[in-house]
Amino acid sequence: MTEPLLALDHVSKSFGSTHALTEMSLDLFPGEVHAIVGENGAGKSTMIKVMTGIHRPTEGRVLVDGEPRVISGSQAARELGIAAIYQEPMVFPDLDVAENIFIAETGGWLHDVGRQRREARALIERIGMNLDVERAASGLTLAEQQAVEIARALSQDVRVLIMDEPTASLSAHEAEQLRRIARQLAEDGVSVVYISHRLEEIFEVADRVTVIRDGEHISTRLIGETNTETMIAEMVGREVGNYFAKGESFARDEVILSVQDLSLDGVFENISFDLKRGEVLAFAGLIGARRTDVALALFGIHPATSGTVSYKGEPLAITSPKQAMDAGIAYVSEDRRKLGLAMPMAIRANISLATLSGFLSGLGLIDRPRELETAHRFRESLNIRTPDVETEVGMLSGGNQQKVMLAKWLNMEPDLLIFDEPTRGIDVGAKAEVHDLIRDFVRQGGAAIVISSDLPEVLAMGNRILVMREGEQMAILDHVDASQERIMALATGQIERERAA
Amino acid sequence: MAERSTLATMWARVQTWEGFLVCVLIFIVLMNTALSPQFLTLSNQINLFQLSIEKIIVALVMTFVIINAEIDLSVGSMMGLAACAFGFLFKAGVDPVLAIGITLLIGLAGGALNGVFIAYVGLPSLVVTLATLIGFRGLARVLVEDRGITDFPLWFDNLGQQGLIGPVPFALIAFFALCALLWVVLQRSGFGRKTYVIGTNREVAAFAGIDTARHKLILFTASGLVSAFAGLLYAARVGAVRGDVALGFELDIITMVLLGGVSIFGGSGTLVGTLLAILIVLNLRNGMALLNITGHIQTGVIGILLIASVLVPRLNVSTLFGAKKHEEGSA
Repeated sequence: MTEPLLALDHVSKSFGSTHALTEMSLDLFPGEVHAIVGENGAGKSTMIKVMTGIHRPTEGRVLVDGEPRVISGSQAARELGIAAIYQEPMVFPDLDVAENIFIAETGGWLHDVGRQRREARALIERIGMNLDVERAASGLTLAEQQAVEIARALSQDVRVLIMDEPTASLSAHEAEQLRRIARQLAEDGVSVVYISHRLEEIFEVADRVTVIRDGEHISTRLIGETNTETMIAEMVGREVGNYFAKGESFARDEVILSVQDLSLDGVFENISFDLKRGEVLAFAGLIGARRTDVALALFGIHPATSGTVSYKGEPLAITSPKQAMDAGIAYVSEDRRKLGLAMPMAIRANISLATLSGFLSGLGLIDRPRELETAHRFRESLNIRTPDVETEVGMLSGGNQQKVMLAKWLNMEPDLLIFDEPTRGIDVGAKAEVHDLIRDFVRQGGAAIVISSDLPEVLAMGNRILVMREGEQMAILDHVDASQERIMALATGQIERERAA
Repeated sequence: MAERSTLATMWARVQTWEGFLVCVLIFIVLMNTALSPQFLTLSNQINLFQLSIEKIIVALVMTFVIINAEIDLSVGSMMGLAACAFGFLFKAGVDPVLAIGITLLIGLAGGALNGVFIAYVGLPSLVVTLATLIGFRGLARVLVEDRGITDFPLWFDNLGQQGLIGPVPFALIAFFALCALLWVVLQRSGFGRKTYVIGTNREVAAFAGIDTARHKLILFTASGLVSAFAGLLYAARVGAVRGDVALGFELDIITMVLLGGVSIFGGSGTLVGTLLAILIVLNLRNGMALLNITGHIQTGVIGILLIASVLVPRLNVSTLFGAKKHEEGSA
């Protein structure tokens, strides 16, 4: 057996009294894709930071080529051939692709541009991408930006490449591209560490998979010797019920929302659907299909330019979020950080945010006890794991942040909830909980639109599935007729648009 | 969690920015008391406030504006414009009470002008209020030209110069009343909560159905109104107005707010912090004056204080005190 390129030997890391890693051991061999899975807060980031020299282990050793090493920082890690790329790639939008790849080359002030471009082209080709190296980085898709980062790491002779949730915000097609790159690198002898919440993709890309939980090593297995259920059970340490259950229908007769030929000039056109109480309509499509734009039009952020919306049987022209909210429509944004939560503020203040006027006394003062009581009630009912409702939302894990955002909107007691990527970047345990919450909501007579790029989720949640492609409505499928293949074929335009009756 | 000694609680308080300011304030007051016997007399204490009363009143509103992630550079010019407008109207024979009313309306209108451009046209407040800083000042100079206007009615001058209740003048009462009112608004009301949320993240506020533009319009209008009020107080206290009234005051005002721990990026800070910063600046200046330290050196010391106030929170007050740093594993 060859020697591991990088190994953790009983590494522990604690911050004060918090133990982020406990006796973690891991071997990374050249030529393998090694997947690491675990819930949010399981210690994956800490592990990456130990490997890349950002954190020093409290106990235990880090071995590079069998030799114990103290990695003093990310620069030192790079010199040893260890690099990490993250979900959000770091590219400089005003520089071109080649300049971005060789950004660290600061030697001398006269660059041989021709040579740089030739080498950049070779690197891009090596990872099997088709990309003009003279293009400005500002126009690149996320996947292309990640390719640039990978090429940058390759230019510095990377031997261990850590990919931290590289596909979390990519469309299915882009994610596939990226997985191919990961395989390609492994074949070239690089040791690839692949961290992902999308379990199904791990089976496509990984040779071995390590499960960690609460900072501890749970198992390392060959990919052929495990399956999704085992992995999930090991990650959460308990059984997760209906992760893949197909949505049962609670649909009632009353049509709550009827949309006819809704269009926003240059963005999307002729979107038409009916939604009943108790029903979940899933929006499927690739990134750029303009699903979110339809939601934003329904919520009044970017009002539609033509078409009609009828809500609870009456025509409704929505021109502001306030108006949508007064009608009982809530929109749970896909971007928690930018649009969803005031991160430095308390959980309590975030939960009351959308319904603030309901907490005011006659003089416009906030009724603190009632606000606190509401926060406690949601913490209980949504199982928000936090020591205190005064905790900053930014300190919570992704799943718990998502629950706070849900609480904010559920407190409005809406009739129609629009969920945009409700489980992006959150772990399987929280995912199942969010799915249960959506089901509870429709069971009690609400109606939901779920926008998701996660096909198993679309199939699990949607009673019907509206597939979009580049601003066009391709089809509305009943969930019994839907399959991942069918949806993808429609979303990518392999099947011509079919108009649902 | 449950077993927290009062000593530990106190220590935790000291580690906040406000706690730090309280310590600095106590230190300065003790030094002043030790160095000068006049310091603790009532007349000195009132005098200490009176000398900067217009600035500290405006600093209270500026706290709201900066927490909202905006800035109002035009306050000094608006104070000048208000004082000059009052002088101009008075000299033109307008009844002084009516002149006060018109002046306050000018403040309202000027603030609303800022607000409309910032909130509805969407221009950065730095640019808009820099423009009105120049514009309002220009208007003030046009109104009074090179003259100095004096000889206001006696009751007007007395309002600024003499005690209203015992030795305590009107302006000081107005300051503390405004302090109490604005504290309730910022720390306890829905309007205050929105001020923080919009300052933290305007998009999040908008997506929660909050009318962020209207909120900003109200803030800038209030800023203009209070600045005009402060300008009138200045005219009454000095008993004369000129075109350069309150020139450069905006910088002192912003300094006090930032020193109070209000983040220039918005979203954080408290009115208590601003009040403590005001007390520190006033006491420091007063103490140095009592020791016959010149104004230029005083300004230098305040400058160093501001630099420290920007740097120290970056160093993280708790690391400064050697407390355990709390890190969060996010994945």
